[in-house]
Amino acid sequence: MKFGFKQRYLPLLVLAGSLTVGAIAPSSAEEAPKWVPGEQYPRELLKNFPCHDYDLPCGKMTSPPVERVEFKGPLKGDAERGEKIATNLRWGNCIACHALPKHEGGSIGPSLKGYAHREMPLDYTYQRLWDVRFYNPNAFMPVYGPNKVLTDQDIQDVMAFLYTK
Amino acid sequence: MNIPRKLKLLAFGACLAAAALPASAEEYPKFDYMPGKELAIPHVSGDAKFSNTYQYWKDEKALEDAKKSGKMSHEMNYKDFRWAVKSFDAEGAIDIGRGYYNEKNAKGQSCASCHGAEGKKLKGIYANYPAYNKRLKRVVTVPTQIKACATERLGFDWKENTRQNTLIDFFVGSLSDGKVVKIDATSPGPIKASYERGRDLFFKRGGHFNFACASCHTPPAAGKYLRGQRPTTFFGDAAQYPIYHFPYSLPGDDFEYVFTLQHQIKSCQILSRIYPGEEGSPAMTDIEVFLKASANGYKMSVPVAEYNMDTSYLD
Ligand code: HEC
Ligand code: HEC
Repeated sequence: MKFGFKQRYLPLLVLAGSLTVGAIAPSSAEEAPKWVPGEQYPRELLKNFPCHDYDLPCGKMTSPPVERVEFKGPLKGDAERGEKIATNLRWGNCIACHALPKHEGGSIGPSLKGYAHREMPLDYTYQRLWDVRFYNPNAFMPVYGPNKVLTDQDIQDVMAFLYTK
Repeated sequence: MNIPRKLKLLAFGACLAAAALPASAEEYPKFDYMPGKELAIPHVSGDAKFSNTYQYWKDEKALEDAKKSGKMSHEMNYKDFRWAVKSFDAEGAIDIGRGYYNEKNAKGQSCASCHGAEGKKLKGIYANYPAYNKRLKRVVTVPTQIKACATERLGFDWKENTRQNTLIDFFVGSLSDGKVVKIDATSPGPIKASYERGRDLFFKRGGHFNFACASCHTPPAAGKYLRGQRPTTFFGDAAQYPIYHFPYSLPGDDFEYVFTLQHQIKSCQILSRIYPGEEGSPAMTDIEVFLKASANGYKMSVPVAEYNMDTSYLD
């Protein structure tokens, strides 16, 4: 029996949403190595994501489900910290693909210079940074939120940087 | 919505159970793929369906004309620099490889004992590898074949990801310089099956960023700037491997800056935060078959230099 995209993820989103209330943390989290943003990502942790192998469990893992998030401002971010996150190779690394305010960068994504002046809704930008697949399942941006590349606060900081006029 | 991944997996499991689908739990998981898988064909001309630049670099003449007409590197899908210039800096690394090829074990045997002085009997073989090895009953890359010979016949522990293996691979690769790549990935058989599995892996999303190889190696990413780096489509490049990768190497490497194709795949996995495969493993071999067959019809060019002069991007 096959599910379509929406059917597969819809019940999951609902269920996942109801779980947040309890804010339960897995007990094994302490033993695993921890990633310090800005430093190299520990190789052991990569086993928690789909990989290219036929024997390891990660070879059978699937991508995380698409997460729809709503941003109900106001935006509480630290633009200076956001700039660091956006330009750090081992953190947000937006600069790899985008030109940014005050910075040249890659050309894979559109330039984000002057993004503030385009008055894009906060909710749109937040969703795009949290999980871009909500807008386009084939998008090229990393799934920053679901895979914990960036936290809610990190994203708000990056947004504060992008929205600085 | 900031919940631990494990919980989500649990939640997923719970959904399936609730929907009462015991059979689907056994099914092979449904992976997310980047688009374009169906367009890939095992020939370098297949690039036309991806980047529309093939006309500029399909052969020496086309390349020369494109350059003369002022085409920029990125407009040629970055395929413009390899053929023209051989890497003389790499000769030293090939010499070291030749040295290992002639290294004798306690019984006085070396690779040369079976394959001839100067690798005489290995001329041209690289253009037809990976190949199916009947004795081992699996598809092997040249590094895996070298490992098999070294461990089983000579008693040397030269696994795929070792200095000796890599440098011998470079030496053997150089013996096929100019030969046209030809991997039969269309007749039914183990190579075709391997190509298809490798293609699926190449387009499958994974890792911390949820990227596939294809995320960077198909348009719109290919041919653009990824900060200082320049990802290109997956056609043709495998014909230039093993490659002289100076000044860049993975931490811990002692390979004189030589990258086998297996090593390049691993490097890209690390770069894109996908758990790196073991060189020579069945999955990694499948990816190599896919890449090498995507260079079918293209001339091997070994040794050439990798263009990348930036060591800072690797994570
Ligand atoms: C691997 C490449 C890549 C990275 C890394 C990346 N982006 Fe993007 N971004 C894209 C591409 C490509 C698009 C165009 C639409 C699409 O494919 O999703 C885009 C679109 C956008 C847009 C929408 C622009 C518009 O005009 O609507 C914003 C905003 C954005 N990115 C912000 C960021 C920020 C902030 C970061 C870092 C935290 C980031 N991106 C990291 C590739 C990337
Ligand atoms: C985040 C972007 C990105 C991803 C994802 C990625 N690559 Fe790459 N790849 C690059 C860049 C940039 C280069 C060129 C720079 C370099 O590493 O030398 C490259 C180079 C290569 C080359 C050599 C091409 C040449 O110029 O000779 C091969 C082969 C390759 N990648 C295969 C893969 C495979 C297989 C995967 C999946 C495991 C993959 N790539 C995933 C960015 C990426």
